[in-house]
Amino acid sequence: MSIFPPTAAETTTAGTIAAHAVSASKIYVTGDSEVHALDGVDVSFEKGKFTAIMGPSGSGKSTLMHCVAGLDSLTTGSVFISDIDLSLLNDKQLTELRREKVGFIFQAFNLIPTLSAEENILLPLSLGRRKGDAVWIDRVIDTISLRDRLNHRPSELSGGQQQRVAIARALASQPAIIFADEPTGNLDSKTGSEVLTFMRQAVTDLGQTIVMVTHDAVAASYADRIVFLADGKIAGEMFAPTAQKVLDYLKHLGE
Amino acid sequence: MFRLAVKMTVARTGRLILTSLAVILGTAFLSGTFVFRDTINQTFDRLFADVFRDVNAYVRSTTFLELDFGGEQRAATPISLLSVVRSVEGVTSATGDIQAFARVIGKDGEPLGSEGNGPPTFGSIASADSVGLWSVSEGRLPIGPTELILDQATATNGKFVVGDTVRVVAVRGSREFTMVGIANYGDISSPGGATFALFDQPTASEFLLQPGFVDAILVEGDDSVSDEQLTQRIDAALADDLKLETLTGAEITAEVQGQIKNVLSIFSTFLIVFSYIALGIGAFVIYNVFSITAAQRMRENALLRAIGASRRQVSRVLLIESTAMGVVGSLIGFGVGILLSQLLSALLKATGFAVPSRGLAISMSAFVNTFVAGVLVTILAAWLPARRAGRVPPLAALRDTALDTAGNLTRRIIIGLTIMALGGVGLVSGMRDAPIQVLGLGVLGMFTGILVLGPAIARPVALTLGIPIAKLRGPSGVMARQNAARNPKRTSRTAAPVLLGVALVTAFTALAASIRSEIRDTFGNAFSGDIALTVDARGFGGIPLSITDQIADLDGVAQVTGVGFTSVRLSDPNEPPALTQAGAGQRGVFVQTINPATITGLFDLGVTEGDLTSLGKDGIFVAADRATEKGWGIGTRLQVTRIDGAVIDAEIRGFVSGETSFANYVASREMFADTPSPIFDAFVYIKVAEGSAVDEVQTRIAAITSDVGIGTLLSKEQFIDEQAAQINQILALIYGMLALSIIIAIVGIVITLLLSVFERRREIGLLRAVGMSKSQVRTTVRWESVITSLLGAVSGVVLGVVMGFVVVAALDDEGNIAFKVPINETLSIVLIAFVLGVIAAIYPAWRATRVNIVEAIATT
Ligand SMILES: Nc1ncnc2c1ncn2[C@@H]1O[C@H](COP(=O)(O)OP(=O)(O)O)[C@@H](O)[C@H]1O
Ligand SMILES: [Mg+2]
Repeated sequence: MSIFPPTAAETTTAGTIAAHAVSASKIYVTGDSEVHALDGVDVSFEKGKFTAIMGPSGSGKSTLMHCVAGLDSLTTGSVFISDIDLSLLNDKQLTELRREKVGFIFQAFNLIPTLSAEENILLPLSLGRRKGDAVWIDRVIDTISLRDRLNHRPSELSGGQQQRVAIARALASQPAIIFADEPTGNLDSKTGSEVLTFMRQAVTDLGQTIVMVTHDAVAASYADRIVFLADGKIAGEMFAPTAQKVLDYLKHLGE
Repeated sequence: MFRLAVKMTVARTGRLILTSLAVILGTAFLSGTFVFRDTINQTFDRLFADVFRDVNAYVRSTTFLELDFGGEQRAATPISLLSVVRSVEGVTSATGDIQAFARVIGKDGEPLGSEGNGPPTFGSIASADSVGLWSVSEGRLPIGPTELILDQATATNGKFVVGDTVRVVAVRGSREFTMVGIANYGDISSPGGATFALFDQPTASEFLLQPGFVDAILVEGDDSVSDEQLTQRIDAALADDLKLETLTGAEITAEVQGQIKNVLSIFSTFLIVFSYIALGIGAFVIYNVFSITAAQRMRENALLRAIGASRRQVSRVLLIESTAMGVVGSLIGFGVGILLSQLLSALLKATGFAVPSRGLAISMSAFVNTFVAGVLVTILAAWLPARRAGRVPPLAALRDTALDTAGNLTRRIIIGLTIMALGGVGLVSGMRDAPIQVLGLGVLGMFTGILVLGPAIARPVALTLGIPIAKLRGPSGVMARQNAARNPKRTSRTAAPVLLGVALVTAFTALAASIRSEIRDTFGNAFSGDIALTVDARGFGGIPLSITDQIADLDGVAQVTGVGFTSVRLSDPNEPPALTQAGAGQRGVFVQTINPATITGLFDLGVTEGDLTSLGKDGIFVAADRATEKGWGIGTRLQVTRIDGAVIDAEIRGFVSGETSFANYVASREMFADTPSPIFDAFVYIKVAEGSAVDEVQTRIAAITSDVGIGTLLSKEQFIDEQAAQINQILALIYGMLALSIIIAIVGIVITLLLSVFERRREIGLLRAVGMSKSQVRTTVRWESVITSLLGAVSGVVLGVVMGFVVVAALDDEGNIAFKVPINETLSIVLIAFVLGVIAAIYPAWRATRVNIVEAIATT
């Protein structure tokens, strides 16, 4: 079914890298001024790992995520998902890639208001006219423990429940990688930690790959690894982070 | 506040254009019809001023009948009076004028000018006098009984050149003439595309009218006295008992100009009424757009309220905005309307009514009418949404935009149904005998009721219509179905214009279908012949009686009878004598002229009492209900005044049902045998002798009729079809006019979809992010559009059928009109709505695919 047969490169990096960017640059031109949102970024995201991207506001976090996820295109450089070079794909192929290989969790407005929770979860699958793996989907739904809310509309769910439905949607098609842009930004800390716990579980228990953009040190501490961005460049990385370590590092970065 | 409004308006150019589009369309139709009417009126004004340029006085009979639609038929004037007029001091020349029926037969044997469906065909006088209306542009004037000239347009159309033989049919039959010249009317080739065959005066009188008579006398003076004085002198010279009057050149010019305006005004009033309907439907679109944009701006308005703006100030911003749109839209609409008027002229030309072009007439009143109507309608349409915007609580600034809800559904349903029921009552009583306004109120009630009901039914109906789409089109279909149902108020407001147009079309169609089948039954029973010869001459000319007599002499023809029409004046013995002095026109009535000796057994006039053979020269039959209404019985005497002024003391000798008699009065053709204004047959019914083949006889009849180039031969079936089909012409006109409303309705759908796409761009971005392809996005928008359009069409059909049923039931006292649901037409309407839904979605769907994913999902 998939239009993306495993490539030779994929077999060699299988089990290690889900997505990577090579000298990724993105320049926005507004009027006479140019903004280098990304400036020669080299980064890779390991399979089965939870990676956080941190950095000050305007440092290019969202831009990096959008470009790696195939929502936006780079000015120069290249991006690979499962070793597929995204710059070689047309709009239709990119769409199918997002549908089959990528999952998304946004900060807000994650769900289609006219569809029920279940329909929202199955949306990427049904858009591709696929059934998906029923056993897997069942497990995902159990994990987010929203079975009794499946027929509710998003407006009938709390903010935390909505984000859990969004996580389930991202997981349902067993994508190669899931991108989350400040998924807890709109939630109170209790609900936020609930959501983060689910994401952690998805990686640890279900073996998924997640890349999360955040500026919250506590949120970042759920990750296996943190990549720091500043002025569109990689400013450093940290493994096995704790909130305190992150805060200290950020202080040091600010100096 | 005003500056803020200006800033906000400018900041929303796209929306401004969209809203203005509805205003532009609505006003364009209005201004188009105004400019069109003024242009035609001006054209004819100038034409007749030009034509009557040299006419200082005009002599004619004071006896005439007013016909329906503003026409009149006047008694003939003896030509012998020419010498009397010429001898009046100050008169330099005088000549006769005739405008009578004559049809030029083309070289292929077919008459020029389409029978019934085109401009009239005339015969007239071409005179050497400078006062004559025609000027020879080629060749010379006709002299003697075998010569004629043609107007330039007819000569060109018929490819006639000077020296050709031309066949013409007129009241005295069919004759051949030699064409000796070509003439222009004023400085144009033919007035309004009418065809003219022109003869010298004696030939014209004998062939077109009655030897020794003309319609009027044209007089030119030597300018030694004023036209008024000249007119008085001529009047004094003519004996009183001649019943003649003299008009000045200015008077006759004004009168002819007025007559043409009258005829045109029926047409242009019709156009203007439908333009106002279109503008009304446009108002609905404007209302819808303002409601949507006001909802989309709720947060912004709430913010204004939170920082201290009063309700009135918030409302005023919207009203100022709408006024700006009304002004700009109406101005542009007026301009577009001018172009549209040119299109109307081109259309008219295409149907044969050539309108000489004499420049555009853009009158102040057309502008003011359009402008005021456009601005008022826009402000009115924005009123409610603006008030609603003012009522938004400041707290809403902090909430997400709420979905609209239909409010209290039960209350809505009860109120809606009550208004509809009241409308139905109005409709029924309007059809009975209540004044026409009650009927209008009834229709209004029906529509208001369904509009109130709309939001309550929009959701369930849209969801039901969407079931097959959701099944067939997968997730895009599911989403289309949900989108169509998610804002029931918006969906029903968007579908409403479609509903109104479709309901009107369906009601008219259902009514027409029922009337048609009624006509078929009636005529099927009444006509027992095999062949019918018909002519649609619009009450002007027809089949000369000599042709009817010729057909009777043919081999294989068992029985022939002709039926015609003429106008007379009737004086009612039960009413006081009309307060009219001699010379004033009186309303005429149509009388059906028959041949009592031959009609029995061939065409059943529905005689309920009496014997048609008793008609004679002075008998008359009356439609039974007319007689009851007037209190007339057998033996009642009626004064019948013919067009030539002769008065006949007639007696009622019987009654007819009135269903197959085409007119309320029936008289024998004998009553009109000695009139100088001859009568024609409009129908000739033929029964074929036993043992003769119908088609052979028809061929023989065709030889006669094609020789004179008149009439259409129809089999019995065809004849019945043709009678029933007459209703189709009216229907076609109504369809054409309602098409305007449908165009506006479609534009309304386009605008709503665009606004919805704009409003849902985040949602679209999200869908694209999680893997919806562009073609799936298009599918979603397309099917939402189709569901909305179908919602309008389906509820419109239901409402239309209900209205049609009510009207038919009310029309039908005796219970013999069966109500027919026009299945085929209804299916076509739904199909058209489907296609239009697809078309309306093209641009919005494309816009939806252009939504930038990253921008759409950006959280700020
Ligand atoms: N569409 C755009 N046009 C112009 N500049 C942009 C656009 N999107 C982002 N930028 C700029 O690029 C830089 C990086 O933005 P972004 O990736 O959103 O940062 P972050 O998510 O880290 O806050 C910022 O300076 C921002 O202003
Ligand atoms: Mg960001």
